[in-house]
Amino acid sequence: MTTHPQAAPQRSITFERTYPASLDEVWELWTTKDGIESWWGPEGFTVTVHQMDLRPGGLLRYAMTATAPEQVAGMKQAGLPLSSEVQVTYTDVTPPRRLAYTHRVDFIQGVTPYDVSTVVELQPSGQGVRMSVTSDAMHNEEWSKRASMGMESQLGRLAKRLQR
Amino acid sequence: MHVDVFQTLADPTRLRIIEALKGGEHAVNDLVDRVDIHQSGVSRHLRILQEAGFVQVRPEGTKRLYSLCPEPFQELDAWVTGYRQLWEGRLDRFGEELERRQKARVASRKKEDTP
Repeated sequence: MTTHPQAAPQRSITFERTYPASLDEVWELWTTKDGIESWWGPEGFTVTVHQMDLRPGGLLRYAMTATAPEQVAGMKQAGLPLSSEVQVTYTDVTPPRRLAYTHRVDFIQGVTPYDVSTVVELQPSGQGVRMSVTSDAMHNEEWSKRASMGMESQLGRLAKRLQR
Repeated sequence: MHVDVFQTLADPTRLRIIEALKGGEHAVNDLVDRVDIHQSGVSRHLRILQEAGFVQVRPEGTKRLYSLCPEPFQELDAWVTGYRQLWEGRLDRFGEELERRQKARVASRKKEDTP
């Protein structure tokens, strides 16, 4: 496991991995229809890309459909549709090193829609590529700082202790 | 996910109150000593924490004792863990797909080389 949550930059969490592959191979998985469809997931969901306009301001539109039995049952139980449409806007496309996009979160009830931005950076490293994915998903500076410092495991322990 | 869970925790004084309550229940006066701000401030933040479901209160004699409720912490924990798992799952699949493609490339090259 080579994932390191990092404290900086604030408002964000960074995931890092190193893959034994070339820059172009890694870039291709992020920037082609069949590339994205092969891994974007999540587990038990199928992703179908409808539009991929790879330039700043361009859109990525895809459908995410629950296909595995467990996920299908889960969505039904939660009263959610099996398939949902997602739209992402590219903000930086610099092959084969940097890709950035924003994703509008407008599905949380009672919350003013806000943009979550994600930055993907690729660097040659030894025989492979170091990939970092930074996302500011926490929409709150103080909280994301704590989350990235490992606060969530503390919270888990606290929750268990309070449960008694 | 309720955004008010995040907003409630965004305040440093409320975080200090939560820290102080981790050890067990306390009366307002104890909390004033521990958090080191004025009683009216502690009372106001306790009310906000109570309304957001972080804190509960029970009377004991003339005192009112405050303690933490597990639910919002469980909710936060599940949310952050879920987010991290989503990305870790993705990056695992990303690595598997890279490997699969490399193998396929090598196999097709070998095929071409075979007369």
